[in-house]
Parts: sequence; structure tokens; C-alpha cells
Amino acid sequence: MKDIMGIIYTGENDARLRELTITRAIAAMPVAGRFRVIDFLVSSMVNGGMKNIGVIMQKNYHSLMDHLGSGKEWDLHGKHEGLHILPPFLTRENVGLYPGILDALRSNNSYLTRSKQETLVLSNSNILYNARLDELISFYRETGADITLMYTKDPTMIRDEYGTYIKVEENGDVTDMEVQPTHPAYGNCYMQVFVMKRELLLDLVDKAVAHGLHSMEKDIFLRLIQSRSAKINAYEYKGKCWHIDSVQSYFRFNMEILDPKMRKGLFRDELPVYTKVRDEMPAYYGDNSTELNSLVADGCQIEGKVENSVLFRGVKIAPNAHVKNCIIMQDGQVQEGAYIENCILDKEAIIRQNARLIGPEAYPIVIGKNVVI
Amino acid sequence: MLRKKTCVAMLLAGGQGSRLGILTKNVAKPAIPYGGKYRIIDFPLSNCTNSGIDTVGVLTQYQPLELNAYIGSGAPWDLDISNGGVFVLPPYQKGKSGEWYRGTANAIYQNIAFIQQYNPDYVLILSGDHIYKMDYNAMLNYHISHGADATIAVRPVAWEEAPRFGIMNTDENDRIIEFEEKPKKPKSNKASMGVYIFTWEKLYKYLTDDEADKGSSNDFGKNIIPNMLNDNQVMMAYNFTGYWKDVGTIESLWEANMDLLENPMPMDMHDKKWRIYAKNPGMPPHYIAKGATVTDTLITEGGEIYGNVHHSILFAGVVVEEGAYVESSVIMPGSVIKRGAVIRRTIVAENAVIGAGAIVGEEEGNIAVVGQGISIPAGATVPAGQQVDESYSF
Repeated sequence: MKDIMGIIYTGENDARLRELTITRAIAAMPVAGRFRVIDFLVSSMVNGGMKNIGVIMQKNYHSLMDHLGSGKEWDLHGKHEGLHILPPFLTRENVGLYPGILDALRSNNSYLTRSKQETLVLSNSNILYNARLDELISFYRETGADITLMYTKDPTMIRDEYGTYIKVEENGDVTDMEVQPTHPAYGNCYMQVFVMKRELLLDLVDKAVAHGLHSMEKDIFLRLIQSRSAKINAYEYKGKCWHIDSVQSYFRFNMEILDPKMRKGLFRDELPVYTKVRDEMPAYYGDNSTELNSLVADGCQIEGKVENSVLFRGVKIAPNAHVKNCIIMQDGQVQEGAYIENCILDKEAIIRQNARLIGPEAYPIVIGKNVVI
Repeated sequence: MLRKKTCVAMLLAGGQGSRLGILTKNVAKPAIPYGGKYRIIDFPLSNCTNSGIDTVGVLTQYQPLELNAYIGSGAPWDLDISNGGVFVLPPYQKGKSGEWYRGTANAIYQNIAFIQQYNPDYVLILSGDHIYKMDYNAMLNYHISHGADATIAVRPVAWEEAPRFGIMNTDENDRIIEFEEKPKKPKSNKASMGVYIFTWEKLYKYLTDDEADKGSSNDFGKNIIPNMLNDNQVMMAYNFTGYWKDVGTIESLWEANMDLLENPMPMDMHDKKWRIYAKNPGMPPHYIAKGATVTDTLITEGGEIYGNVHHSILFAGVVVEEGAYVESSVIMPGSVIKRGAVIRRTIVAENAVIGAGAIVGEEEGNIAVVGQGISIPAGATVPAGQQVDESYSF
């Protein structure tokens, strides 16, 4: 596995995450009580044996850089390889803002050229998974494909208007692809993770960008599939995965992993998920706290009632406060007598005494960072 | 040549801690888990980092494997730096000789070469036996401003307990005039905390002289400190009034854990300016299921709680199944409490399994202990104060 490098692209469209992505990229979204989306992607790559990982950043990348740091938590702070943070920059050949993933890759041409690995895994960051990428790579090698795409048959991943769907033959070959169809014809959702030779990617990207093209799916994969000029096949990922691209899908993911079965599908002993450590003490439960069906991170102090919720590190729930179906990010506070339901509290938000805040289940209320209510 | 350091810390972590019974059968005392996510050694190491002391030698001798693995590169404490950092220092062969550490002073003596590399002005001597948060830098400033040759941290203990400690008798300016080990009739209640700062030049001389004295037991308390006092060296007592707990026995280890559940906590563990660092196992947050009850308890990551937990400390990855009841207990990493088991006043060591319906410990009496990796059969009973290891038959 020494000969594989990883690229994570974090420039996805995030308008549907409203306030949550004003100050951060989707990849930096806090999830599951103590992680960020990117932790799952980087950990999958590290667990799959990759030691050279580049993270392409587009906008709002400060929180992402802050989180990844030197890559130490993922053992990516080595001398030769390790974590490479690739923010946009302005040069003669680099325009700064990328119109699409192909432009982003073209701009990082020198990093890709300089890397020594023969093969490359690229992952977008709006689908959260924890995969055995070593199995994906073995599949790619054994089948002798030019490009192997990773996909899922999970029916919850099939949605109208968003996503890319592929037709997979019995032998694994991909014979059709639809990008953002209103009514998907195929039940195989492409997870926006693929493997190919580094040189091949460089070549494809260079040619596509030279022709003014921007989209990996529409402008490269679809054309190759239609012209049958490359062997493209697909590897089925059988674990759990989730779209993280709207407030609803973000909320749904956090609520679903309250289910122990879902959690087992995501957090597996052989695939540990690493993240930046905050060194908080364990969570404290007071004398009168009641808590049902919730995930609670270290540093929380719980005196009130918590139901079906995910509490990130350092959250305080005061006596007689009641929190139901909520996601409360780092250092949030719910003070005495307050009641909140179907809310997402961004970092350090405070709900004052006796406040009441009830969102509809299908459209949770988002309280921005540092907001006091 | 390494850059000069003002102060180098030497942490004595070689003791067996035999009074901790089966808990220290396979691990050295400083590696014993404490407080839901820490090990005892996290406290002195974090204190060093927070005090700006970035060069720490850890002297190991007894069952060092787990401790070595735990310390690793020193990254959790920010001690993985190129000029300094944390070093594990086991005894080693020198020329034709080679020997175990014979006493606390001998352990430092055998590592003089390590200390000399940094050419320090002062050396801080610590032990891996206590739970406390302390600013060693403030103590060092005190040592310097008093022109001391040695400074010993002391804390007031109840007079009736004083005969159990090493007691420092001081004059009105806190200069130490006499040291008494476990005095029957104490003249002071200032107990030594086992935290010393020496001016390195002086300590070097006394360590070498002590080594030459064949009758010496090569111990700081028995030899070095009395010798320095006899020579009228400037020895200061540094008063510390914060939380400090010796965790040398099963009972005191249990008590120190329960202290974290006091309201307010006797030691502020939420202080962002003085965090206690620990190696992180990388687990998801803990989960409390519908139907579980959890009160007055600390729980860390990876836990899965379906049963009832009251007044307890649960470490990483602990599972409490439905209908199980845990009260006033300390459950160390990876242990599983099966359905309907009842656990009271017990320390369960790492990766133990308490079988369904088993009853361990009692509401009163001594603390029961279940050893590392032990499985208690379903329905078995373990009385108060019992220590259960492989040799125990049900």
C-alpha cells in the first residue's frame, strides 16, 4: 500500500447548509459529537495505508487548517510524506478561485507531479463514510481497470436532483452514468471516491481544462464511459454512508448514529477515526440529570434533561433545562428552565434561562456561532 | 551539544506500588488509570508542560512495558520536541558493572550523564504517585528568589495524620531546620509532597558523596536531605495548599476517584489554562440508551450505557448492559458489565468482564478489586474487600 497517495477535495457547493457553512467548509462540519467530516476521510485513507495526503481547500478553509494542523493526530507529520494542505493561490497559471474540481487539480499540478506514488485515490468531502480503502485498491489492481469508482447501493443515498448514479454490469464494469438526474435511473450512488494512476489523472485533467471543462463526472468520466476509451469499473462499498450537504441531511446523519447498529457500522475497531484532541475531562452527570438515547462527548456537564441528542465537547445543560432532538456543538450552553427541540446550535451558542425554541422536525432551526438567545 | 535548560525534571516511576495489590501486578503504579481517562503519570507530566518544563526523564524499573508504550513519543503532553522532550530512562549496563536502581537518589545518580547533557541550573525531582495540579515554575521562582540550595514542596496535613508522613520542621521564614520521617510526636504538620527542586551543582555533589558512602541507602528522604540539613545548606519549604492525593493504596485510589464527583470538585479539571493531557484512544462520544439512568457520574468516550450507574467513574469503552447496576465504583477501560450484574464499591481493572447477574462488592466495607482481563462468571458473588485475579476460585 506504500504506492498510493490520497487527495481530498473540499470545495463543494454548500449553500444548503445555511449558517453552518458561513465560516467553514463542509469538510470542517462538526459531526457525531467530537469529529469533523474530514476526520472520516483522512482516517480512511490513513487506515488504507496512504502516507501522502493532499487536502485541496477552496474557501472558508481557516477552520479546516486549524483542525488538521500538522497532521499529527493522523500520524501524517512525517519528514518525507505526510499531510499537504493545498489552499488556492494566485500565480500565472493559477486563478485562485476554482470553478470546479478539474481547475483545482490543474492548479495543484506541481504537487501532483512531484508526488512519488504511482496510484491515487481521490475523495470529495460531502459524503461521509469509513471505508476499507485498501480493499478498493486491491479491487482496482486485481481487475486491471483504468479507473475504479466506489459506489453504494444504500437506498437512502438515492435522492432526486442531487448525486451521481451509475450503471454497473455483473463483472463490475460501469456502462452508464447520470449526473444530478431529477429521477435517477440506477440504484447505484457514486460516492465521489475513485482510484486511478496519478499520471493518468494528470493527463486527463490537463486535457479537460485545456478545453475549458470543469466537472470530473460530466466532462471526464461520462465521456470516457460513452466513448468506451477506458476501462472504468466500480467497487461496492457495503458500509454505511451519508450525504452531508444540507441542514436536513446533516441533522439526519447525527440523529441516525444514535442507533447503536448504525454506530457500529460507522465506527469499527479495525478502522479507528482520529481527530484533534481537546483534552477535556470526562462528561459529568449531576444528581438530577436524565438522559435518554444520546451521544455525549467529554467535557460536558449535564444537570438537566437530554433526549435524542448529540452533545459535542464542553456543552453545559443546566438543571431543569430540557433538550430534545438537538445537535449542540462545542461549548454550547442551555441555561436553567430553557426548552429546545429540533435545533442545531453552532459552537458557543447560548440559550438563556427559560427560553423556548422549537423547530419543525423536517427543517431544524440553526443557531449560529456565538449567538445568544 | 544540546541547548542549555534552566530546569530539567526527573520523574521517579520505578516503584512497584505493592500496596495496590493486583492492580500493579502487570503495570507500574504511574500507569494505573485514574479519573475516567487519565493515568497517574498524566498529572506530573501535564504539570511539567503547563509549567514550561519541557525536558523530563522518566525513571522506570518495575513492569515498564505499559508505561513505555503509554509515554511513546510524548506527543500527548507536547513533549515530542527536538531539544528536550520526554525520555524513558531504565537502568542499564555501564562498563563491566550494571545494576538496578537501588534507591531514589541512586536512580538519579545513575542518570547524571542524562542531566548533564542539558547543563541545567536546577533539577526538579517528582514522583509518579500523586494526583495534583501544581505550577512547578512558581516553585522554581520561589527557590531562586530565596537563594535556596533545595526547596521541598509541603502541604498541611491533619495533626493526627502527621505521623504517617515525612514532616518538615521550619522556622518562621519557612526555612527547613529539621526533617523527621514518620515522627511519633510531630512538631509540625507540614508534610513533604515528594516534590523537590535542587540547585543542580549542589545536588550533584551530594549525589556523588552519597554514592561513595557504602552504608547509605541512597534515598532522598533518608540520606540526601538529612545530609544537606546537617551541612547547613539553605533548604526551603514551599507551601502548597491545593488538592493533593496520594494514591498508594486501593482505598486511596478509590477515594481519589470519588473526589472528582464532589461538588464543587476539589481540583478544577475544567480549567482551560491548566489542562491535564492524556493519550486519546480515538473513540466516538459515549452513548446513553433510552431506559438507562446515570447520576453523579463521570463517563468518557466510547462508553455504551444501557443500565444504571450512580456515583461512579467509567473509562473509555466501558459497556454497562441492561439491568446492570453500578454504584460508587471505578470501571477501567474496556470492561463490560453484563446484564443484571450488581457492582458496588469496586475497582474493576482494564478489560474485565463481569458476568450476568454477578454481585461484586458490598454497600459497605472495603473496596473490592477485579484484576485486569478477569472474567467473573455469571451469578458469582465477590465479597467486599476481595481482590480477584487468576488464582481466585469461585
